[in-house]
Amino acid sequence: MKARRVLAFARKEVLEISRDRFTMGVALLMPLMMLFLFVYGISLDVDRAPLIVVDHDRTAASRELQARFLNSGYFILQAAPEDERSAEHALMRGTARAALFIPPGFSGRLGRGEDAPVQFVVDGTYASTAAILSAYGRAILHAYPEEVRLPLRPEVRVWYNPQLRSRNFIVPGLFAVILMAFPPLLTALAVAREKELGTIAQIYASPLTGSEFIAGKLLPYAVIAYAELLLVVFGGVVWFEVPVRGSVGLLLAVGLLYVLCTVSIGLLVSTLVRTQLAAMLTALIVTLMPAFLFSGFVYPLFTMPPAFQAYASALPTRYFLEFSRGVVLRGAGLGDLWPNVLVLAAYTATVFALATWRFRKRIA
Amino acid sequence: MAEAVVEAHGLGRRYGARSVLENIDLDVHAGQVFGVVGPDGAGKSTLLQMLAAILRPSAGTCQVLGRDVRRDPAGVQARVGYMSQGFSLYDRLTVAENLAFAADIRDVTGPERAVRGAELLRMAGLDRFQHRREGQLSGGMRKKLALCANLMHEPPLLILDEPSLGVDPLSRRELWRILDRARTEGRTIVFATSYMDEADACDRVLLLRDGKPLALGAPQELRRDVAGQVYRITGPALDRIEAALETDVGVISFQRRAGREVRAQVRDGSRLAPIEAAVAEAAVPTMEDVFTFASAPPPAPPGAASAAPPQPPPPRIRNDVIVSRGVSVRFGDFKAVDDVTITVAEGEILGLLGPNGAGKTTLIRILCGLLSPGEGTAEVAGFDVARQSEAVRARIGYMSQRFSLYPDLSARENLTFFARAYGVPRSELRGRIAWASARASLEDAGEGAVRDLSGATRQRLALACAIVHRPRVLFLDEPTSGVDPLSRFRFWRLIAALAADGVGIVVTTHYMEEAAFCDRLGLMMDGRLIALGPLTRLADELGLVTPDVEAVFLGFIERERTGQGRAA
Repeated sequence: MKARRVLAFARKEVLEISRDRFTMGVALLMPLMMLFLFVYGISLDVDRAPLIVVDHDRTAASRELQARFLNSGYFILQAAPEDERSAEHALMRGTARAALFIPPGFSGRLGRGEDAPVQFVVDGTYASTAAILSAYGRAILHAYPEEVRLPLRPEVRVWYNPQLRSRNFIVPGLFAVILMAFPPLLTALAVAREKELGTIAQIYASPLTGSEFIAGKLLPYAVIAYAELLLVVFGGVVWFEVPVRGSVGLLLAVGLLYVLCTVSIGLLVSTLVRTQLAAMLTALIVTLMPAFLFSGFVYPLFTMPPAFQAYASALPTRYFLEFSRGVVLRGAGLGDLWPNVLVLAAYTATVFALATWRFRKRIA
Repeated sequence: MAEAVVEAHGLGRRYGARSVLENIDLDVHAGQVFGVVGPDGAGKSTLLQMLAAILRPSAGTCQVLGRDVRRDPAGVQARVGYMSQGFSLYDRLTVAENLAFAADIRDVTGPERAVRGAELLRMAGLDRFQHRREGQLSGGMRKKLALCANLMHEPPLLILDEPSLGVDPLSRRELWRILDRARTEGRTIVFATSYMDEADACDRVLLLRDGKPLALGAPQELRRDVAGQVYRITGPALDRIEAALETDVGVISFQRRAGREVRAQVRDGSRLAPIEAAVAEAAVPTMEDVFTFASAPPPAPPGAASAAPPQPPPPRIRNDVIVSRGVSVRFGDFKAVDDVTITVAEGEILGLLGPNGAGKTTLIRILCGLLSPGEGTAEVAGFDVARQSEAVRARIGYMSQRFSLYPDLSARENLTFFARAYGVPRSELRGRIAWASARASLEDAGEGAVRDLSGATRQRLALACAIVHRPRVLFLDEPTSGVDPLSRFRFWRLIAALAADGVGIVVTTHYMEEAAFCDRLGLMMDGRLIALGPLTRLADELGLVTPDVEAVFLGFIERERTGQGRAA
């Protein structure tokens, strides 16, 4: 591999890219757009769930119970109808997610120290939301009326993200997902474009070797991808105010390795296809789709069947995602996460070698 | 004799079960110009790609510059200059940047690099455009630049895939000037072409058809081999001469030339049967004749004689079916068609000639009612193309360069579809399809999918599809590209028969020799019609003795450049 030829090739790429404002715009704007869409769009926090209250007791005590639900912030009052039937109707239509039924004589029983049954119904259509809502409801009911003395007094603390703000969890995950979405796509298209236009023939019939071609393509696209990383990290920290507990420098350094990895994946894809359309579809299927579903971005990997866990482990996104969340949320350092860095380095080297090997200077 | 630069034995290439090239034996010696000649799909590109070591042969051996293309492809790739078909440079880079890149990847450094680059650009007439983007050059200039890029490393062997395809005559001449220079510097040139005049200028040629070698040798030898088998026939009634040739089993093919004479190729050992009221004299064979002989089917083809149907007397009054006045169309700053005024009468064949990008296709789109003219008006079959485009489209037939057929359907299914799409009533369907098939002489189409038909059969099927609704005007956009000469002649006879029925026909082509088949020619360049009229009259106008189309075209380009006014 001759450095001079690689640089000459990279220079040509830079000239071409700089004259294609559309691609440049897409390359830099799309990641930011995705960051904003996902942070605002995906919220795993469950609050302001519409609640139906059917109060047959109508006493100070029943109103107090109702107020506890509404003051928790997790529920808002959708309606307070007279009968169960209209409550059921609201649940059926989906206008309410939960319903609280307080039977007549509720405060009387409470006053007498008897069991006072109330019914709390949760719509189970969205299973995870339902589980959270029912836990909230149970917690509120347990704390009522006052001073429930339990023999065991648990003290639960949430570490690393004490407010349980899902944004703090989504944003560092998006660093990994966004960089798997756009850089491979851009790179795969860039090589396929040369194949479609026929400019590749000039490369084939020249002393330029496969590794020089791949390296010359990799460099400028890695720079663009790194700019994307800087943009989304900046957006996450400054705009979304996600606190970074660990070292930003470490995140950006390992980010560079990850960027080289994702760009290499794009190059590998481009050696396998002939047209830009095929490059785009293949890139989406091998990068974006698994990055969403099998990286632990939203769906935790430890709940998946073993086969899918193995599949997820074969993709690089999970390693950087774990790293990014570890550094941002837990303040972890290289001492904790070195295996992830090692896997990423090995992955990058392997994909680059594969791409070089696959890029034969041959038409067929 | 000089050393062999290229030596191939039994070279072949297959893709899966499909063989695209087989049994190629050839040797090219240092300093030779070697032409690989044949229509599209003959296997020319495949052969050149194997010589450049960028395509692995599936059979045979091949040594290029003393290296085996299989064992040392990198060694071959690094030493040859290879120019692929189409445009192989970066359209977003400037002329100078493209040249610098070509030098960089071929390790051309030091002072000679700048000297050589400047010299090549000057020779190509591109030195004034150093800072222009490659994509903004004309097709001819792009081709010249690609050639310069391949000469930067001074390769001993240049492999060029159809360098002059679709290039204007002036650029073509300049391209060949650069190549002649390269040749005097001792470089060997192997190039592919489908132009027969370029084949004539080679030291040796290989004729290819359907992936098989037809002939190999020096053009003079090949022409000598068929001497005495080519005739020029003149007489008062060319139709009658053609009818006589049609029934003569010794005749391989014949073509009408410039409306005055018929050229016929006769099988070895046969003699031309005398024709009443006609004079036949032996003609000097051209490479086109050679190719016609080389691709001739075996003797006595059964029943293939009735290609042209009997001709009814031509109509007395010839109405104009196309009238365009000052038609122009712009795309942004670019004038694709600039002030074009033409008429075409019933039964007339107008040939539009010009390089790629001259505006031929755009003009046809306007006349078909597919594109509104920015300025000027045009009437086709009596209807305004801008305001009554529906009516126009119902009365025209259009056959595009790509033939627009459905490859997975059979010939009959394609015909049925086009007939239905043009609103042919169900009751007439069968009759119309039979008529169009006979007109296009489609007896060999069979029931298989169109994808498996040969280029020539697909071309005739596309013609049948274009005429199945009996249009009054027929537009043929490069109908003969990629078809061998024999099939092209056959196609032109079908066109002539349609014209004899009274159909007005507009044909575009970049094969200059096909101009001879047209009644009148329109020469186009940069969107303008720079000349219009019968070939012989255009030649007379320039004071040329022989009506050579290329000379006529160059003459009118020259006239344009020196500003002697627009088309007369």
